[in-house]
Amino acid sequence: MIKVLFFGPIAAATGAREVSVAHVPGLTLGSLKEILAAQYPEAMHLATMMAVNGEHVRDMSLALADNSEVAFMAKFSGG
Amino acid sequence: MKEAVRIQQEDFSQDEEIRALQASSKRMGGIATFLGCARDFSEGREVSEISFDAYGSMALSELKRLRSDAIEKYALLDARIVHRVGTVKGGENIVFIAAGAEHRVAALEACRWMIDELKQRVPIWKKEFTPQGESWVTPHP
Repeated sequence: MIKVLFFGPIAAATGAREVSVAHVPGLTLGSLKEILAAQYPEAMHLATMMAVNGEHVRDMSLALADNSEVAFMAKFSGG
Repeated sequence: MKEAVRIQQEDFSQDEEIRALQASSKRMGGIATFLGCARDFSEGREVSEISFDAYGSMALSELKRLRSDAIEKYALLDARIVHRVGTVKGGENIVFIAAGAEHRVAALEACRWMIDELKQRVPIWKKEFTPQGESWVTPHP
């Protein structure tokens, strides 16, 4: 399973802070985003930043290992 | 002594942070600080309070990396960063950054660089509460 985390405006748009998505061979960050966009189109539209296992990732072709923790994040507004 | 990089709900003391920074080296000739506060007015609306959400583990590791990068980039003697999460009322403290160097220029430039980088790198989100309702903040350039 992939653990998907939502925070701030994206958590508000999805109504959830965490969901699980089944891992399949060849699953990439981009294909995971497409799966989630079908369920949460508004939230995924806000998702301009991604992190895998707590590290920033920009490459949507990145293959995801099973049990990864993935965050789809809106632009940050801290400070 | 408190950790040099922290994310916490409670307020912080600038004096304590500066004392801790100063205690790290007697070679320090300049300390620059940035204090970010909650405004009670934003985009033409009164703001009663702000709430912060964070990807806690990643935000802390990014802040620690930011401090290390600043120390290396500007040859700082030490640096400290404290960011609050949870609810902050208008006029209260949000974030404190302090940079200590042998000379003022490095300290001032590093402090500016750290707050600018924090806004780009650190997964924290701000929601404003106004009489018209609550809304997540769209970052300024």
